[in-house]
Amino acid sequence: MNFNARRKPKLAVFKFASCDGCQLTLLDAEDELLAVAEAVEIAYFPEASRAVIKGPYDIGLVEGSITTHHDAERIQQVRRQCRTLVTIGACATAGGIQALRNWQDSAEFVRHIYPSPDFIHTLKMSTPIAEHVPVDFELRGCPISKSQLLELISALLAGRKPNIPTYSVCLECKRRLNVCVAVAQGIPCLGPVTQAGCGAICPAYGRGCYGCFGPMETPNTESLRAQLHVLGQTSQEISRAFRSFNAWTWHFRHASDEEERA
Amino acid sequence: MSRTGTRTIKVDYLARVEGEGSLYLKIQGGRLRDVQLKIFEPPRMFEAFLRGRHFSEVPDIVARICGICPVAYQMSAVHAIEGALGIAVDPAVRLLRRLLYCGEWIESHALHVFFLHAPDFLGYQDALEMARDHRAVVERALALKKAGNQLVALLGGREIHPVAVAVGGFYKTPSRKEVRALRPALEQALEVALETVRFVSGFDFPPFEQDYEFVALSHPQEYPMNEGRIVSNRGLDVDAAEYEDHFAEHQVRHSHALHSVIRVRGSYMVGPLARINLNFDRLTPAARQAAAEAGFAPPCRNPFRSIVARALELVFACEEGLRLIESYEPPARPRLEVEPRAATGQAATEAPRGLLYHRYQIGADGLIRLAKIVPPTSQNQKRIEDDLWGLVPALLDRPEPEILWKCEQAVRNYDPCISCATHFLRLTVDRE
Amino acid sequence: MRLEAKELASLIETLRRDGYEVVGPTVRDGAIVYDAIEGLEDLPRGWTDEHAPGRYRLLRRPDNALFGYVVGPQSWKRFLLPPRVRLFSVRRNGDQPEIIADASAEPPPKYAFLGARACELAALAVQDRVLLGGPYADPIYRNRRQDVFVIAVQCTQAAPTCFCSSMGTGPKLSGGYDIALTEVVEGAESWFVAHAGTEAGAARLAALGAPEASPQDVARAEEAARRAESMITRRLNTAGLRERLAENFEHPQWDDVARRCLACANCTLVCPTCFCVTVEDTSDVTGSHAERWRLWDSCFTQSFSYIHGGPVRASIKARYRQWLTHKLSSWHDQFGTSGCVGCGRCITWCPAAIEITTEAEAVCGFPPSSLRSEQA
Repeated sequence: MNFNARRKPKLAVFKFASCDGCQLTLLDAEDELLAVAEAVEIAYFPEASRAVIKGPYDIGLVEGSITTHHDAERIQQVRRQCRTLVTIGACATAGGIQALRNWQDSAEFVRHIYPSPDFIHTLKMSTPIAEHVPVDFELRGCPISKSQLLELISALLAGRKPNIPTYSVCLECKRRLNVCVAVAQGIPCLGPVTQAGCGAICPAYGRGCYGCFGPMETPNTESLRAQLHVLGQTSQEISRAFRSFNAWTWHFRHASDEEERA
Repeated sequence: MSRTGTRTIKVDYLARVEGEGSLYLKIQGGRLRDVQLKIFEPPRMFEAFLRGRHFSEVPDIVARICGICPVAYQMSAVHAIEGALGIAVDPAVRLLRRLLYCGEWIESHALHVFFLHAPDFLGYQDALEMARDHRAVVERALALKKAGNQLVALLGGREIHPVAVAVGGFYKTPSRKEVRALRPALEQALEVALETVRFVSGFDFPPFEQDYEFVALSHPQEYPMNEGRIVSNRGLDVDAAEYEDHFAEHQVRHSHALHSVIRVRGSYMVGPLARINLNFDRLTPAARQAAAEAGFAPPCRNPFRSIVARALELVFACEEGLRLIESYEPPARPRLEVEPRAATGQAATEAPRGLLYHRYQIGADGLIRLAKIVPPTSQNQKRIEDDLWGLVPALLDRPEPEILWKCEQAVRNYDPCISCATHFLRLTVDRE
Repeated sequence: MRLEAKELASLIETLRRDGYEVVGPTVRDGAIVYDAIEGLEDLPRGWTDEHAPGRYRLLRRPDNALFGYVVGPQSWKRFLLPPRVRLFSVRRNGDQPEIIADASAEPPPKYAFLGARACELAALAVQDRVLLGGPYADPIYRNRRQDVFVIAVQCTQAAPTCFCSSMGTGPKLSGGYDIALTEVVEGAESWFVAHAGTEAGAARLAALGAPEASPQDVARAEEAARRAESMITRRLNTAGLRERLAENFEHPQWDDVARRCLACANCTLVCPTCFCVTVEDTSDVTGSHAERWRLWDSCFTQSFSYIHGGPVRASIKARYRQWLTHKLSSWHDQFGTSGCVGCGRCITWCPAAIEITTEAEAVCGFPPSSLRSEQA
């Protein structure tokens, strides 16, 4: 896929269990949206358009996790229809915050909320897309970063590798000249084990990173957990810190389980 | 595709609504027999997993209920929890929260009017198609939406799932200079908002009216956002603490979203049309003026005109935003220390789509024991179905695509937080 | 020369009037960072800093010293080697690429550094050697560096993380500045003993018309400088350090530190001599506009050592070892000096509280030479 292609690549956006925020990120690219709509054919994007152009699609953006039988089947169809499948956001890449059900009795969850639980059909677990189909690229984040989304689309169109780093948030924090909230104020921060991408917003706003982009390339969660204890956090608090939007990733799940056992 | 007896109109996916839903109409013997708005958005079960989380985590978690109105969830949450724990924030924090909400109303209403609703009225599939004929209109709409987003990004840290909102205030507040730097964008946004009112009030509105019970917050001085009593045009006037005494949630077989009703009386409407009908005299001057020029005056009972109400609220939010920017001074105490105690708190704030109610029961350890969240869309669900009951009978002899489009439009009047795409009608006709 | 505070204010003002962007220490977000200084009111008057491995706190001093602190999280490299720089942007013009902006051709800002410490001047010299002294000088660094006016400040205290004396870089100032100031705190106001290091510095001092410092003034200043030396408790045994590190690539201490190291890159980003950058090319959706950006990078990232197929240093152990041995050993082979100036920032700002001095000595098998009881 590149600029010499004779037809515009077809882009499709699919939603599973999610809040819509990652799809909205594309519509939030107000300055670039019309240019994107000219560079690609937006063939299927229910949140923005009634129009449906049938697949197959060149680029499929998939938001949301798999939580129902129906969706577990639907993702298989989506994979078949998309030449390049990109998962966007923590729900799709990690199972999302709704993966908290994975630690619980989800039948109890359903009964807690719905007076007639029999009408609700849902799976026990919330799982990421990659547990069901092969995924060509992951855009992390809760939500994803608008500039990373545009970078990815530009890169796919140009046939080049996207500049999506996997190192820690600390690089973005220091480049931005933030003062480290953990060292200077003793505020618990997951930055050292979290992947960059957000631009280190939370430390810029005086709070610690809470892990929206999931585990960085080589997260040393054992070491960070020890430091969080030094900062005065309890095992319960540390476990909760890892058990949030990317709770079901291997590294964060392991970290939260270990602290819970402590 | 005609068969015996029953004509079933199914809209498998509703486009340009946020979430996943479909519409089922059953017509038998030339009469409408059933209407079901099906939400099969997979339930994520926030109320269940909020249990055991610390109250300070709640604003971050509940934001993820909705990517389009995360601020609303954060606002209802912090007000409910602060109510429970006896916290009163600084006046400057109160101002910032209102300003933040202005940003979200602008972004959400602009998104809905231009991307999700206006294309309907003009016969376009979407805003991007509309841009081919009306590029300037769409570009200005994007600038309007961006102004709202810039406000949310400055005050909240980012547009989607803001990070700065905390129980007790904000983790960091902007300087006066930073806030005033947004004035030019908001001034331009106000211009576009006024154009938007003129643009949408010229649409072709079907002459359809219903006898609604409108429900919204009402505040003695201001157009309601974060504070006020819950009122209706049928005499309801209660504090948020009494919400559950007057409203009940029912589960229906065909939907994952619970239906909300006013006890005894049934369905009701929340959202811009309800708000504006109940609080018209609290609108800011330019908004009231724009309403007069558009020929819009309460009570307006035509749900298709909700797009005008939304556009008027765009004017209000820009005007109010400018006023708040002028008077902002950074708070002495951006964020109060909050001590946990065993307590329960309730709050309702006005999300762009309507009343959003939260209740939290907190333990002495600061952990959530119980959470109850009633979104505006579930409160409107039954009302949407009732609208369709009222609308469809007169359409039965129209061509199928037109019935389809009108029904979708009727749903989109409510800007419901569900989303989907269209497929095509399947139709069978019963000749009896 | 003896300067009163108002004369320092006047010096700042004339520099600004002459087109210099005066940058120096100021309090923000709980630390003393480097940013624009418009007048004495921007300086961290009455503030000091408390350092320990992984811990930094800003504290109030009992007096009103303007420079009564040690070092903040930032170094002067943020001005000379900016964190993010667009090298150039290109536009498609028919068939031809057209360069529409070129950072190396842009007129750079003219900086006056106010408050540089001895270790920082040593770090500037190290970066000068790296970025200007080889066959390929970095034009962006050169453009910014060549016009810098340096007002150094003599340290009058040291933190438990400082080890400049071991590295031969301080705490006493010894050249590399246009003007050197030593602050003497007396009552509510400070005064300064100033001397010039260059003709440009001498000219600016002369223009202030301040009196000569008396022998007593000079003695007070020297006493203040000696105080810094006496406060240093951390040491690094550098005799044989370079060779021993090179001989101990398989020492078990590397595994020990790798268990603690987060590979977060903070040490390299606060280090005043670290210079590694990465270059990224990006294009827009239309494909008619592209930009090349240079960003601070770190040998702690996996992609840093990526050669086709994978990173050469996949493990955290390999990366920590690379950083330390480069800084204290192979830097000599590359550039003829140590890469470390003993400022201690990597110790303070490491979220895992790892101490370069402890780790280096453990690998070399040296007995610990720092006074442990003095460390917080």
